[in-house]
Amino acid sequence: MESVEVRLGAADHFTIDELIVTCISRQAKNGDLMAQGIATPLVVAGYILAKLTHAPDLIFGVATGGCITNSWAPLSISRAEEANLEKPLYIFGFDEVAGTLMFTLQPKEFFRPAQVDPRGNFNNVVLGDYYAPKLRLPGCGGIADVTNYSSHVYLYVPRHSRAVFVERLDFVSGVGVLEEERRGELSILSPGPRYLVTNLGTFDFEGGRMRLLSYHPGVSVERIQKKTGFPLAMAPDLHETPPPSAEEVRLLREEIDPLGIRELERLSGGRRRAKLREIIEREAEGF
Amino acid sequence: MSDKVVTLSEAVALVQPGDTIALGGMTLYRRPVAFVRELIRSGVKGLTLLALTAGYESDLLVGAGSVKRVRTCYFGLEVFGLAPMFTKKARDLEIVEETEVSLALGLRATLSGIGFQPARAWQGTDLLKVRPDVKTITCPYTGEQYVAFPAIKPDVAVIHVQESDHQGTAILKGNLALDREMALAAQRAIITTERLVEEVEGEIAIFGPRVDAVVLAPKGAYPTSCYPYYRLAGQEILDYVDACSGGDFEEYLAQFLDGKRGG
Repeated sequence: MESVEVRLGAADHFTIDELIVTCISRQAKNGDLMAQGIATPLVVAGYILAKLTHAPDLIFGVATGGCITNSWAPLSISRAEEANLEKPLYIFGFDEVAGTLMFTLQPKEFFRPAQVDPRGNFNNVVLGDYYAPKLRLPGCGGIADVTNYSSHVYLYVPRHSRAVFVERLDFVSGVGVLEEERRGELSILSPGPRYLVTNLGTFDFEGGRMRLLSYHPGVSVERIQKKTGFPLAMAPDLHETPPPSAEEVRLLREEIDPLGIRELERLSGGRRRAKLREIIEREAEGF
Repeated sequence: MSDKVVTLSEAVALVQPGDTIALGGMTLYRRPVAFVRELIRSGVKGLTLLALTAGYESDLLVGAGSVKRVRTCYFGLEVFGLAPMFTKKARDLEIVEETEVSLALGLRATLSGIGFQPARAWQGTDLLKVRPDVKTITCPYTGEQYVAFPAIKPDVAVIHVQESDHQGTAILKGNLALDREMALAAQRAIITTERLVEEVEGEIAIFGPRVDAVVLAPKGAYPTSCYPYYRLAGQEILDYVDACSGGDFEEYLAQFLDGKRGG
């Protein structure tokens, strides 16, 4: 379990991963099509949690396997593909994804950016100078595509820091809230990201400026501002993020992710590799 | 119909230095790993690697020095982290930024025999700055600005499939990625297959008459998966990541080429 433990009353407690998953879950409405990218266990857990609670008719468009499905299985690294392909509603290739399905079906999708600026532009390509990068990142997949037209772009950042939230991006690969004067020259339909959840709070980009909607239990507004590399706007009804219910926490721990795969997104280096090895070994034992 | 079944090394001989080689599959799923082993052994250099997403097999190719240019929208090992050799060598590689749309529509342009395909994509990003070859156009009907994605023409495509006949008529189960389009758009198409049969059963995905070579390669995608025959071998991917982070890529590569690693 994560060491960051937030106490809520005597009996109820939850980890920050579980709170992020719950926030993701609450953005899914019944009947939505939710797109799952790759290596996003917090997101997958959030979608499943929504399906098991308030959104039973949720449908998943999954990259792993390449299909649309309305069934779910506990989070797994080595079995995700076969679980997704067991009872697909539809099998797609990426000619169809890129040329047809993404625009026509407009799925909701949570992306994990490496950098975010005040307007909600984001970067998944490179840190540092493009031609002499400090760190080359895997790439932006289809982000530069969907952020040109989608009204359902959502973001999540498991480790909120000034390295992530910067005044100026090293590279723009996802479009945020467009400045009014650029609207005429660019044919962009997207209003920008609708929502952002981090390990410190929840946000939106209303009016083209990142705005704090809620602070997580035990986190001060001052701390959130300090961890953000530019001034935040504040929502008029700024409040504490509602914690997960006991049932949501139980579902996550017992049904959705008993191996704790969701924790990988907040770990790094040797601890992360050790956790990965433990998960892989337990899966090999048939867990 | 002529029998197109050849050995792996005969198929690899279809790849020329400097070719654009398209690899089928998706990140850690159904990748042509056995073919990549033979390709590295052949010593061919200067390749342009084209993939919807590039994973373990592509990282080995980059680490072995076979690749000068990379065209993909994601190069990584999913939950296993960054692709270590791609990350290490990124400054020395020529990276052509791509996205799902630029790759899919670039292949579609080739398959339609035209110079580009337009899309709503990339505007407002820095991709157009680092891809000055990609132009925008004005829609003659709506007056809107679109990006005109140039045709992509692979020299060779290599697709690992579950089942193929001797002429390359083949089925795919899941993770279709851009496999069908790559096989059709490439000058030369190579199929490596788990099973070689007289007649395939299931929905046909690969158009055999355009296939040049078929290679029987059981477990040819390992340690990536080949649904439903075998799962992603996470242990092996982790061993690879650990070897690279310990500075032992060359040792891992030697073992891989000897067949002691990754299959």
